[in-house]
Amino acid sequence: MTLLIPILILLPLFIGIGIFIFGGKGESMVGLALGASALVLGLSILLLFQVLGATDGENALKEATIHARVSFAPDWLQIRLPVSVGGHEVQWQLQFGSDGIGALMVLLTGIVGFATMVMATIQIKERLASYLALLLITQSMLLGVFLSMDLLSFYLFFEAVLLPLILLINGWGNQKESQQASRKFLLYTLVGSVPMVLGLIGIALQSDTPDRASTVSLEALSAIANETQQAAINAAAGGDKFAIPMLMEKEGWIVLLLLLGFGIKLAILPLHTWLPTTYAAAHPNTTALIASVVAKLGVFGIIRIVIPLTPLALSTTGQMLFGGLGALAIVYGAMVALSQSDLRKVLAYSSISHVGFITLGLMSMNSEGLSGATIQMFNHGIITCGMFLLLGMLEQRQGKVSLDAQDQGFASLYPKLSVLLVFFTLAGAGLPGLNGFVGELLAMTGMIRVSGIFVAIAVLGTVLGAWYGLRIVQRVLFGSSGPAKPRNALLVSTDLSVREFGPLLAMAFVCLYIGVRPQDSIQLFDQDVKRIVRISEPSSKAIHPEIDTLAQTK
Amino acid sequence: MLPALTLVLGGSVLMAASLLLKTGANRDVHGQRTYMALISLALLVSAGLFGYFRVVPEELGQGMFRFDDAALASERLALLGGLILVLMSWSTAPSSHLGEYYGGLLIMIGAVPVVGASNDLVSLFLGLELISIPTYVLLGIVKGDNAGAEATIKYFLLSAFASSFFLLGVSYLYGFVGSTNLQVIQSNFSGAGRLTSFALVLVMCGLAFRVTAVPFHFYAPDVFDGTSLTMAGIMSYLPKVAGFVALIRVMGTGLNSQTIEIVVPVLFVCSALTMLVGNFFASAQNNLRRLLAYSSVAHTGYLMLAMTALLRDNAEPNVLYSYLAAYAAMTLGFFACLGEIEAAGGKTQLIGDLSGMFYRRPAASLGMTVCLISMIGLPLTAGFWAKFLVFMGTIAAGTKDGLSIAMAILMAFNAVIAAGYYWRVLSKLYEKSDEYLPLRVFRPSLFVAYTICVVLTIVWFFVPAVM
Repeated sequence: MTLLIPILILLPLFIGIGIFIFGGKGESMVGLALGASALVLGLSILLLFQVLGATDGENALKEATIHARVSFAPDWLQIRLPVSVGGHEVQWQLQFGSDGIGALMVLLTGIVGFATMVMATIQIKERLASYLALLLITQSMLLGVFLSMDLLSFYLFFEAVLLPLILLINGWGNQKESQQASRKFLLYTLVGSVPMVLGLIGIALQSDTPDRASTVSLEALSAIANETQQAAINAAAGGDKFAIPMLMEKEGWIVLLLLLGFGIKLAILPLHTWLPTTYAAAHPNTTALIASVVAKLGVFGIIRIVIPLTPLALSTTGQMLFGGLGALAIVYGAMVALSQSDLRKVLAYSSISHVGFITLGLMSMNSEGLSGATIQMFNHGIITCGMFLLLGMLEQRQGKVSLDAQDQGFASLYPKLSVLLVFFTLAGAGLPGLNGFVGELLAMTGMIRVSGIFVAIAVLGTVLGAWYGLRIVQRVLFGSSGPAKPRNALLVSTDLSVREFGPLLAMAFVCLYIGVRPQDSIQLFDQDVKRIVRISEPSSKAIHPEIDTLAQTK
Repeated sequence: MLPALTLVLGGSVLMAASLLLKTGANRDVHGQRTYMALISLALLVSAGLFGYFRVVPEELGQGMFRFDDAALASERLALLGGLILVLMSWSTAPSSHLGEYYGGLLIMIGAVPVVGASNDLVSLFLGLELISIPTYVLLGIVKGDNAGAEATIKYFLLSAFASSFFLLGVSYLYGFVGSTNLQVIQSNFSGAGRLTSFALVLVMCGLAFRVTAVPFHFYAPDVFDGTSLTMAGIMSYLPKVAGFVALIRVMGTGLNSQTIEIVVPVLFVCSALTMLVGNFFASAQNNLRRLLAYSSVAHTGYLMLAMTALLRDNAEPNVLYSYLAAYAAMTLGFFACLGEIEAAGGKTQLIGDLSGMFYRRPAASLGMTVCLISMIGLPLTAGFWAKFLVFMGTIAAGTKDGLSIAMAILMAFNAVIAAGYYWRVLSKLYEKSDEYLPLRVFRPSLFVAYTICVVLTIVWFFVPAVM
């Protein structure tokens, strides 16, 4: 029981609401907002160390459940609904907590939140107080998702992220496009998340048996899921032909609805069209937050809920479908990125391509693939945040950045910015020694044991990734022989200030650190990934008997 | 029975008192408004107190009225809605017919618990007509122009038509059982066949008009458009509560499987059509009143889906009561906000009229924001739990048939369509426009009305059990 968790969620929320109401014009609130997000970053690092310290021994590794290593679940934190299910009063205990995966995402939220906050204080000119407040509120909701350990609070925060985010997209983007983009974003997300709640309710209701009331706790539900699939597989081995189809009938529709919801959030291939519109219409600073953390909610949801709670249905219906879509997304995103000239669109499609790798890792359902997906979730968050923030700075100085424009040798004009841009581009392209390489490699090693074809397609994507990455560098930084001239003399024409350079440099160091010592970060969530794999192992074994799911890399 | 009696008798007295109210040029309109509203509030509060201190006997008996959960819940819903509606009426009631207006309104509010407590088809019909007849009167007096007259005559004719459906169904039921007592009828459901189902479908048709279900919804947009805002609020809430409570009363218990096999598919089709028609027509509207009318139709569709789960014992009546409570808070709250803008001199007929309203009337706009978020069904508002509970009931029913799950998915997609048009209204509020004419007239009664709604909407999210 640690108070760190409620503080992490509530602190940015209350400060955000406070700034929203009493903020006024906003200049006086800059210090408070910066302080709050720095505090959140500090607390998230603290949480990371608490989680690291709370390793559960060898013994606990044999349990096939999700387990919060640091938890906050007081008895009063429960929701009583005015209905009963199967004769039991519905009284759901809410639980918050963190395992390694959650702690990593909390850290990502802390870093990205702080970096976007710093940039916001420099770039946002109108209604600054509201912007800062909404950033803090969004951050609080995101932390809520990553720290919740039951279906209900997960879903509540997952939905609640929408509200501040839509206001951010709507209020501070391109005047013309942002209204339409925010509506598209709202409707797309709801198309996924409203049916998703049916799936979550289905999981909760199916946990109700005559001698056990329904529950929403992930720990209990994952144990139940493990038992039921084990029972079905054993029965099938004993000659009961209907055991697996029966369970499939119970779980099949749930898994499809959940994958629809999370798939839209992570912008899987045919459901991705909200992403380029939103990224192009919103303020780059907002986009940095959406691309790096919000889009990861889908991935996180699959790791937290879909794989452990509906393993059998996933490995029969969703695995190959989603794996294939992920592989396609890698190539498709990269090709479209190559043909775009608006830098915002290039980055948007490159994001679709990179998330394809994460999907590939997830759908391998073995420990390497999941480790790869988890670490890549963090890596891509950092890299894409860096890219969009740099784009924002470039736009602030030069107006809209197009790859087709002549005369943009920004390298000589903004040397610091250029170094960072080259660095993040290389990290994104998967250069060995930087963090992008680690995640993509692990994800592909995991997937190759499930399907070689998907990996073959994905490898193609890494080549294309380097191509469009270098295209950005070449066209934007080294576009002409002489030094570029600022198109608008009124705009800023100097290189990055310390305030702009500092957070990005720190993020670059994180990239380098993970690239050089990946084992440190993998050690953080290794046992949690193994627990998840152990839950889903019987299903994977039953569906793909040739694959050894738990084999270890390190 | 005391709360309902207080309201109905009090309403009648107020109606009679209209004879004593001074008319003519030099009367004190403001004072009359205040007194009438205060008397109505006092009646509501005393009705609430009577209800609160009532001792419910252990043995409920088999008489004309029965004070079980349905009765108590409908009483609470009526008093809650009544409180908000009277506050809304304070400054919007037609000054020429104050006595008749408040009298009619109180009788309508009092009739809802009469429906809820009825244990007999005769008293049930009495309660339903006690709602309809004052509605005709109110529709006629709140707006004297052509549109108002059209709305009134339309509602009157269709309502009489629907009542005849209801009576036909009731006469069949009486014919089979030989009694009008609901408990006797329900105990005979076990041997029921096709004809009973036919009678029940007829009853459902009669009630479908009150709850504005497709295909009996046609009057709603015209009536909402043609009458005053407060009256539209009344029309969207009180008949709906009465209709659903009556449905629960008549068919809530004791149906056998053969009847369910006929009644539930009818309800499924009706619910699916109601949702789809409501949401699609609402998305096509630029007229805010008509949009609200169709949105009210869509909410009926969701409630009918909950009804299907209820009939098969997979959900409890609480699901419907909670939904109606959340519906009261968000819809009446929205009407109260619009009413305040209108009272302050703004226009609310078209969605475009709300453009930039946040900068002209921030408090009402924030109120509308909360109500709209609740109507979309997002967390931090009661609307979330309302939809959640309907989903839960339907999916619990879906463990036995896939059709329920399909219906739940249909409802989920409908909720998304609905989010589209609610968002259209919501984003209009915050739109930047060139001229901001602040609306400064302050109406405390309307402000209090929507503040209550907004607070309830948010508080119920955190403690859904008391909804």
